[in-house]
Amino acid sequence: MTDAGATPLLVVEDLVAGYGDEVVLEGISLVVEPGEILVVLGSTGSGKSTLLRCIVGLLAPRSGRVLIRGRDINAASDREREGILRDVGLSFQEAALLNSLTTAENVALPIIEHWDVDEATALMLARMRLARVGLAGAGEKMPSELSGGMRKRAGIARAMALEPALLLLDEPSAGLDPITARAIDELILSFKARGNIGIVAVTHELGSINTIADRAIMFAAGRIIAAGTLAQVRDAPDERVQAFFQRRLLPGNQQRTLAEELEWRDGGRSDRRTLGAEE
Amino acid sequence: MSPEPSLLPVPTRLEAEAYRRLRRALRGHARGATVVLDCERLEALDALGAARLLRVIAEARAAGLDVRLAHLGDAVRRTLAEVDPAILDEERPRPRRHPLEVIGTHALDTADAAGAVAALVHDTAAELAVPFGRRGIKWGRTLQQMALAGADAVPIVVGMSFLIGLVLALNGAQQLRQFGATIFIANLVAISMAREMGPLITAILVSGRTGSAIAAEIGTMVISEEIDAMRTMALSPVRFLVVPKVLALMITMPLLTVMSNVAGILGGYAIGVVALDLGSDAYLSQTVQALFISDVLTGLVKSVVFAVLIGLIGTHRGFAVRGGPEAVGRATTSAVVTAIIACILANACFTAFFYVTG
Repeated sequence: MTDAGATPLLVVEDLVAGYGDEVVLEGISLVVEPGEILVVLGSTGSGKSTLLRCIVGLLAPRSGRVLIRGRDINAASDREREGILRDVGLSFQEAALLNSLTTAENVALPIIEHWDVDEATALMLARMRLARVGLAGAGEKMPSELSGGMRKRAGIARAMALEPALLLLDEPSAGLDPITARAIDELILSFKARGNIGIVAVTHELGSINTIADRAIMFAAGRIIAAGTLAQVRDAPDERVQAFFQRRLLPGNQQRTLAEELEWRDGGRSDRRTLGAEE
Repeated sequence: MSPEPSLLPVPTRLEAEAYRRLRRALRGHARGATVVLDCERLEALDALGAARLLRVIAEARAAGLDVRLAHLGDAVRRTLAEVDPAILDEERPRPRRHPLEVIGTHALDTADAAGAVAALVHDTAAELAVPFGRRGIKWGRTLQQMALAGADAVPIVVGMSFLIGLVLALNGAQQLRQFGATIFIANLVAISMAREMGPLITAILVSGRTGSAIAAEIGTMVISEEIDAMRTMALSPVRFLVVPKVLALMITMPLLTVMSNVAGILGGYAIGVVALDLGSDAYLSQTVQALFISDVLTGLVKSVVFAVLIGLIGTHRGFAVRGGPEAVGRATTSAVVTAIIACILANACFTAFFYVTG
């Protein structure tokens, strides 16, 4: 956590946002400090991804403010916004790699644009970033040649290309096999271990939540219905929170508890201990 | 006073024949009539039956009937609510929109679109004003685009223009032969190609070939969030995508137009020499005498304007894509049609202007 009185990394104040006539986020407020991982929970369509779009200025809020290191992204000039965005890395749910560029060129793109380096050096740096996420040797591949997990990791490498102070991850492990999902969780934790980075991860994967969250907020219908440590959120009396943590709808209408989810994720090796601590 | 509601019983099972009868019965009611579908006998609905009932209700409500459901059993209600809860709302048909509201909505949509085009034009001009440096034009990407939009288009532009020149000469010969003035075919073909046909044929071919590709590429990038990704990396999509494409067209279209002019003149030459026995030297000499540098320059100025129109319309249509792959297809078609219409309109304006100014 930061020193008292220091400017928080991210402040969202009373945010209201939506598309057309539809209000998707209503009265959202949150703070993220350097060195912590905030997990945003909620079911599909609850407004989690919209929150990320507002934070990076892709969607202008109807009211409220988004302050990144004290600077309001929506009130900034184009040049100021560029400076603000250099402090932010966003990994999209589907990675959103530029399909006309190789994986390394994708990661090198922001480096070439924002740092005073030549293209060859930027590509070298990009390969190092890719190696960091376990994609050494995949730099020359086109995005269409990568698997879903590799694309996500490449997206994270691109988001980390400029060593941002704030990393935003949209469903980083959704749709991945348990081993790859766990590898991505460990990657996120390794970023956190480096120190000053603040991470906001949007997810509804129970295994990831339990592994990476320092704090959590839970969305339902565009509002925050629970916030605090993971334990505090899990104990929130709201029945939607309870439903989220106790029951998880799976294909074939099978339902898993959190404990079963963790068993499923890695055979319960490490998480039994964590779960036991929580219980 | 509201008319009496009419009661239509829904049969026990909504099989094909019963479904058709129910539709026919509903179609027999006038707009604004209230119809109560009595579901008392309807005990349970399978998926197909539910789909049929929902279709009937939606169709009738769209036709302006006030459709209500009576004696709906719990099981049937649950089945319908799972598919479309709104269908159970017994709302009256919405009144038709006032014509002023429709006009106002269209006006606002048009204003929004005009604003987006104006912003695109402004941003493109601003980026073009910085040719060099870290924030300057992406010349490497521009060269790639020049190869795609220019070099690759040479065969089709030259081939089509040659044929157009040929057709122009053949049609002109029929008329001019009556006056013993077939040599003036050279004037007809050369001036038509340089002032009008060359730039316009090139513009139409480039619209179909490159304008569509631009809209499809950018549209696909929009739906795969690549444009959003660029924005979050503080990279300007206008500088990376629009400027190289528009600039490449501005450079290559005048060159393609010159090639089109030459190919068209050669088409006329082929007819004049081979079919009309005009003599090679005589035809070429007549062509040189007929053409003024102003004719060629007029065509080149037009081609630059057409290039800007095709590039900006293609990119604008691409950025406006919302939805999925189908929207990309629509944007592509729209880009081609709009660009061709815009080029023909611009050509008409140019021709009128040059006619008035002499």
